[in-house]
Amino acid sequence: MSASPDGHVLQVSGLGKRYGASGPAALAGVNFEVPEGELLAIVGPSGCGKSTLLRLLCGLTAPTEGTVLLDGRPVTRPPREIAIVFQDYSRSLFPWLTVVRNVMFPLRRSGLSRSGKRAHAEAVLREMGLEGKADSYPWQLSGGMQQRVAIARAMVSHPEVLLLDEPFASVDALTRAELQDVLLQVHATREGRPATVVHVTHDIDEATYLADRVLVFGTAPGRVVGEVDVELERPRTQPETRSAPRFLEVRNEIQALISARERLPSTPSAGR
Amino acid sequence: MSRAGRRRRLARTLLGVAVFAAALLAWEVAAEGSFQVPTASEVADRAWQDWPSAEFRSDVTESLKRLAAGFVLGAGLGVAAGLLMGSSHALRRALDPLVELTRATPPIALVPALVVLLDYGDSMQIAVIAFGVCFPVLVNTVDGIRAVSPEARDTASMLQVGRVERIFRINLPAALPSIFAGLRIAVSVGLVMVVISEFAGTGDGLGRYIVEKQGQVDVTGVWAGILFLGLLGLVLNRLFLLVERRALAWHHGATGERLS
Repeated sequence: MSASPDGHVLQVSGLGKRYGASGPAALAGVNFEVPEGELLAIVGPSGCGKSTLLRLLCGLTAPTEGTVLLDGRPVTRPPREIAIVFQDYSRSLFPWLTVVRNVMFPLRRSGLSRSGKRAHAEAVLREMGLEGKADSYPWQLSGGMQQRVAIARAMVSHPEVLLLDEPFASVDALTRAELQDVLLQVHATREGRPATVVHVTHDIDEATYLADRVLVFGTAPGRVVGEVDVELERPRTQPETRSAPRFLEVRNEIQALISARERLPSTPSAGR
Repeated sequence: MSRAGRRRRLARTLLGVAVFAAALLAWEVAAEGSFQVPTASEVADRAWQDWPSAEFRSDVTESLKRLAAGFVLGAGLGVAAGLLMGSSHALRRALDPLVELTRATPPIALVPALVVLLDYGDSMQIAVIAFGVCFPVLVNTVDGIRAVSPEARDTASMLQVGRVERIFRINLPAALPSIFAGLRIAVSVGLVMVVISEFAGTGDGLGRYIVEKQGQVDVTGVWAGILFLGLLGLVLNRLFLLVERRALAWHHGATGERLS
């Protein structure tokens, strides 16, 4: 793992995306850096280009302006150092593979023996609280468990950066809280040092609870309108962290940034 | 299963049997004294008599061999072409007009042309069967690949799945339920093509059996042949469902769909 000399894993500069030659800009003039080990949350109303941004970060979509640097090198196609977890676990897991085969999939060229891959995948599944589910098919698990499988699949090859696109938006509130703690655990425990995570959400409380830093996005075009350092202690736990005075300060600050932008007259932009 | 459930199931089975028996009885009564249509019992009787003869058995085996050869050839081509067309936009655009025109052609219309090309015999017959089988499989394969979710495609890209690997590791398994739906249609189409090709061909097979009986003005024999083809179709379909249930266990579980 080799962050750029100044310790930034991801560097985004002048990033913009326009769909079609004359279409409205989904994203314009976006600049930020992500230092190694940071858990960065990106919050904004729908249509602020959050999902587009994630696609640009991981090379699934090419930007029309600006660059994304991963460890100082431009991202032009999906790099193996980045893993992503989508909102819709049921569509991103491969339904024809069992849970453990889904998690083994990224290891197919790892050079490990078949049993080695399986052992490694099973270890990650255990960390995710999925003991005994290895040979189930994804549809046999609850939504929350399926998303755990998706996270396990993303983490099994030790990516440098984990991207999450509204990962907990499709599960109920209790499961969401559980999964938030799973993510905190993933962030904290990877090989003794924290993983770098970029987490896109529209849930202000979630962003506050999880992140080291929150970037607030506005619409038309999607751009950074503010930044809040969370400065809540780790490890965090649901009841204590959420009742800390600082938690309220942060969430109000984010809310204020979003509301200020919302009141401005703006032309509707083209969604993601 | 609960007792009430078992009773309900038994009732449903009995209803099916009763309707079937009623249909047979109606046939029996309606055909009584007719010269054009034999009664159900006459047909069953004839089928029972003809079944053990060596000639008849070889007719059945020849038909099955042809069906197997044509099916494997046609389905293989259909899956292969479908995988390529489904996995490459360029290929799809290039081949679409050709496929659309070819598949709109009724395979029966090809028989005279294929007779000229390949003469009467097995190769002509197998070609006709393969032609009929190929297109439902091809079209279903392409449709199945088109239905792969954007999330699955993106996941594959993020996991460094290359072009060729994508065909076999993502597109093929994802399209499998749709491919099987195509194959199931192809089994029926294949049987139709067997009979048609044998009507035109010379030699043997169940189709020829029917034509021969017609030539001998043996109406009961014609109907016995039809009965055998019906039974053959039923058996093939059942066998196919068995294979499908094993191959697609993951899919039927995921969609909550149950095979009859």
